[in-house]
Amino acid sequence: MNATIMKIIGRLLVVSMFALPFQTVQAAMIGTDQVASAAGAGVQRANLINTVARPDVARQLQALGVDATTAKERVAAMTDAEVQSLANNINALPAGANNAAWGWALVIALAIWAWYSYR
Amino acid sequence: MSLPRCSNAHRLVGVVVCALLLGGCSMMLPQTTALQDNRPARLPDQVRLGKVPFVAQDDNLCGPASLKMVLAGAGTDATLDELKREVFIPGRQGSLQAEMLAAPRRHGLVGYQLKPQLEDVLREVAAGTPVIVLQDYGVWPVSVWHYAVVIGYDYPRHRVILHTGLKPAMEMPFAVLEYLWKQSSYWAMVAEPPDRLPATATETRYVEAVAAVEKAGNLDAARVAYQTALARWPDDVKAAVGLANVHHERGELKQAEAVLRAAVERHPDSAILLNNLAQTLSDMGRNTEALAVIDRAPAVGGDFADAVRQTRDQILERTRSAAAR
Repeated sequence: MNATIMKIIGRLLVVSMFALPFQTVQAAMIGTDQVASAAGAGVQRANLINTVARPDVARQLQALGVDATTAKERVAAMTDAEVQSLANNINALPAGANNAAWGWALVIALAIWAWYSYR
Repeated sequence: MSLPRCSNAHRLVGVVVCALLLGGCSMMLPQTTALQDNRPARLPDQVRLGKVPFVAQDDNLCGPASLKMVLAGAGTDATLDELKREVFIPGRQGSLQAEMLAAPRRHGLVGYQLKPQLEDVLREVAAGTPVIVLQDYGVWPVSVWHYAVVIGYDYPRHRVILHTGLKPAMEMPFAVLEYLWKQSSYWAMVAEPPDRLPATATETRYVEAVAAVEKAGNLDAARVAYQTALARWPDDVKAAVGLANVHHERGELKQAEAVLRAAVERHPDSAILLNNLAQTLSDMGRNTEALAVIDRAPAVGGDFADAVRQTRDQILERTRSAAAR
């Protein structure tokens, strides 16, 4: 319930921030992350990520059992692109865990290896 | 269950299953095929990194355990608990790639994602750097993700050597590694000290990785790593801007100026460099010089026109208030 409301508010914020361009540039050093690059995000996108996506990812981490302070620190160590990739997908992205259940994969892997050995 | 040595029975089953189910294996494992056909130049036959300690894990902690091994390989100590707090997600019983790359930043190292190539993994290992790979032990449609650390290889026998799960220095054929690794789109990473460039580093990727260290707030590591990047790619604007920003952030305005001047020399028209140089000069109270610099930057058009205009206004404002005093 609460989460749903937060989601709706989040979406409204996203829409309003895109729809109503705002000027936040101040006389200052231009940040490193604004130098053109593959993952280049403008000032406004970066603002959006800091105000919406970072707290959102921290909340999702909390929901998955990470304590609040730790979640914040973890999000702070990520780039904007990394935060974005987690924002929508935290439950679907690969989470490396253990390899206890590798029966079938092993059979197939061995088959392939055998084929290669004879190649 | 350990990875069995290949018996004849296995081979027979293997050939049959493979022929029936898969048809064209060479299509499936392009990298192994390529490495069989063409030996990469200047790659030693056998490498095994003795300096990488084995950290056993059997409790879904392969993420933190892999990081601990790689960090130790880079000469950095971290406890498993600490790393668990940094990357493990209880609700997923695992660790995400983004956080695996982020964690080394908090320990003063640069997390660098390799190009998705087995050859690059071998090259990093040959250069003395252990590599974390993300494997999938599941079979479609179920994925069982697992991080392991490549600590060596034996090229003539086409084997990699991995610290994985409960097994130290397990040998695995290239083909098996590729099959298990492929599903993650060949995801692999290293963690390097900031004064050391990864052997396979490319300019854009590396500078991005360093910018991420700056963003994470580890300014000491970022400064050294930017210098490492500039030593290799002196023309890189982003590395120069980053290094100057780190200096500026720490109040080392003279050093920031020196970095920016050298970069402006190479890129006289860069609005970012001119803006930041002008800002730095103005922050040192040298507003006349600053004005001369900012007037070389385009105040109309371009992505940074607004920033340039505001910097210019600020310089004029500061000049006026200095004159009024």
